[in-house]
Amino acid sequence: MNRTIYPYPVLRGRTDVEVTRVRLDGVELEFAGIGISQRTVALAVAGRDEWQEAAIEIRAELPETEIADGPWSELVCVAVLEEAATNVRTVHRLTKDRGSGTWQGTVRMARSRHHSRAGLRVQVVATVGGIPGRRIGGSESDWVLDLHAKAPQREQESPAVVEVDFRDGPHSWLRPMKDAPWFVDTAGGDMPVVYLNQAVEGLTTLLSGKGGPAAKATAALAGAKIESDVWEAMFHAAVGDVEADEEGRPRMPTGWRESVLQTMLPDVLPGLSPSDAIVEFSARREEGYGWAELQSRVQYAAALRAQLPKQLANAMRATVRPEGEDR
Amino acid sequence: MGVATRHLNRAILSGTEHPPQVALLRAAQPIADPSPRWDTGPVRVLLDQAMARYATDRAAADAWLAPRLHATLRLTRGEAADKGLWAYLALVVAPDYVLWRHIPTGTDESRRAAVVQAARFAGANSVQAFARLWWAAEMFRDGADYRPVEVACSNQDVLNTALRLDIMEHRPTAMAVLRVLQQLTAGGAPRPGDQVNSLCRAIGIAGSTLMYETLGPDQLPDERELLLWIDEADSAPPAPWERLPDGPDDGEVPAASVAALTRLFENINEHLGQLRDRRGVATGV
Repeated sequence: MNRTIYPYPVLRGRTDVEVTRVRLDGVELEFAGIGISQRTVALAVAGRDEWQEAAIEIRAELPETEIADGPWSELVCVAVLEEAATNVRTVHRLTKDRGSGTWQGTVRMARSRHHSRAGLRVQVVATVGGIPGRRIGGSESDWVLDLHAKAPQREQESPAVVEVDFRDGPHSWLRPMKDAPWFVDTAGGDMPVVYLNQAVEGLTTLLSGKGGPAAKATAALAGAKIESDVWEAMFHAAVGDVEADEEGRPRMPTGWRESVLQTMLPDVLPGLSPSDAIVEFSARREEGYGWAELQSRVQYAAALRAQLPKQLANAMRATVRPEGEDR
Repeated sequence: MGVATRHLNRAILSGTEHPPQVALLRAAQPIADPSPRWDTGPVRVLLDQAMARYATDRAAADAWLAPRLHATLRLTRGEAADKGLWAYLALVVAPDYVLWRHIPTGTDESRRAAVVQAARFAGANSVQAFARLWWAAEMFRDGADYRPVEVACSNQDVLNTALRLDIMEHRPTAMAVLRVLQQLTAGGAPRPGDQVNSLCRAIGIAGSTLMYETLGPDQLPDERELLLWIDEADSAPPAPWERLPDGPDDGEVPAASVAALTRLFENINEHLGQLRDRRGVATGV
């Protein structure tokens, strides 16, 4: 709630939210499924896939002393569960626990209403200056409830890698590219997929990195180049999915697209906040100015993410040293 | 999805060529569930009927088709979020319908060859030819009652913008917006669609400081009823053509919440009206 200016008093103190317990159809989820530092719950932990309802117990801590002295009345604290892909936003009221002073409640999540990952946050609402229902505060970062994750990890933006024969394999659309060592496919709706071409002899052996230091360094270099291509593809896929909000301003996407943009935009358009950078990027795409320069910056940012400079240096050292010429 | 977009070229988008059925079928992921609810036959029948009924006014087909498509293609929201499903319908089952409904007509476009936007075949659920109707029905139905869906889908402005707005994810808000739209239409307001669009924008802006969910709370849908209804797809008769089908009886939108939000939105709309009038006077229009 810090960046926006509200025309009425809002909470300055922090609101924190924590998931304390999760039950899937009444059976407790292992504690390993709840990642407190990652703020993530892995709902597919231990292969439990057939559940219908998750009951998520949460606890929120509000700046109580500030509330006690403040101009707010009829204060309500609610948990908001949402997933854009299924147009779902459900709101659950929390109740204040007299003993601990925290707000607690159980959020019920129906599996059929969700697709991949839902966000969970807390919102504080009160009557201010005679107007009910004002938003006066909330948790700053969402918890992520991941339906398909087996372990609570936040940044799962690594795409799937498929080893396939481009020339004689099952995917006829890869045939025209039979000489390409790899192809990053972003045309799908979700994460990009990297196809490695088994028709290129020795490629998969090379990438497995078996052998001496030179082979290892070459594998790492090729891997970094592929990774750099992937970052670039993901960046463009993410930017391509930026939608406009009610006022026509580009809106930050969610999920892996958000994390890709958040990590790469500072290198693509330095000096701008990610949300400003999106506006700038979209404007340049539409109007065309500075577009070519931006492409180079995207490549640069992707190479940085993929540690291409480091792997290149390592590869050069590893291939030069055995000759023993500089000693 | 990937395969779908790869096959969308100009010839297909303009209707001069059919999508390559064999290649698409080979690339499509089969659905493991053997239930007859995945049978596309009944959907095909519905689409043929829609084209026959609305041959002269294709936009009007949306309000007829949306509830019937929803009642025929019984899905959970999780299943309907899969864009591949909708791309399959558009490219394999009924490319002719997508062309019929969305190929541009009129003077501006006739200079260039008319093509359908690729996203009508494979794209966001607020744009894709069938996903937009299914989701409109899902978000505007009042439990088993599809009447609000007809109201929402008979106004292209509502149908085109509403699915993109987060505020519509709250059922009482969606119902209240439709109430205001109905009042405007009944009162003979000029271009009610435009007015509703600016109202939606204003509601969205006010929603950054007001939480409609606490002003007009909703109830969680009855999950068991919904899943039961989906299971009944196997034995249910086809959706009726002349009267509205019944949706899943998973809970009505609380009337008190809709009433409270309707009052609030009427107020907002009145303010907008005053702003419009003032602007009109200032520019001498």
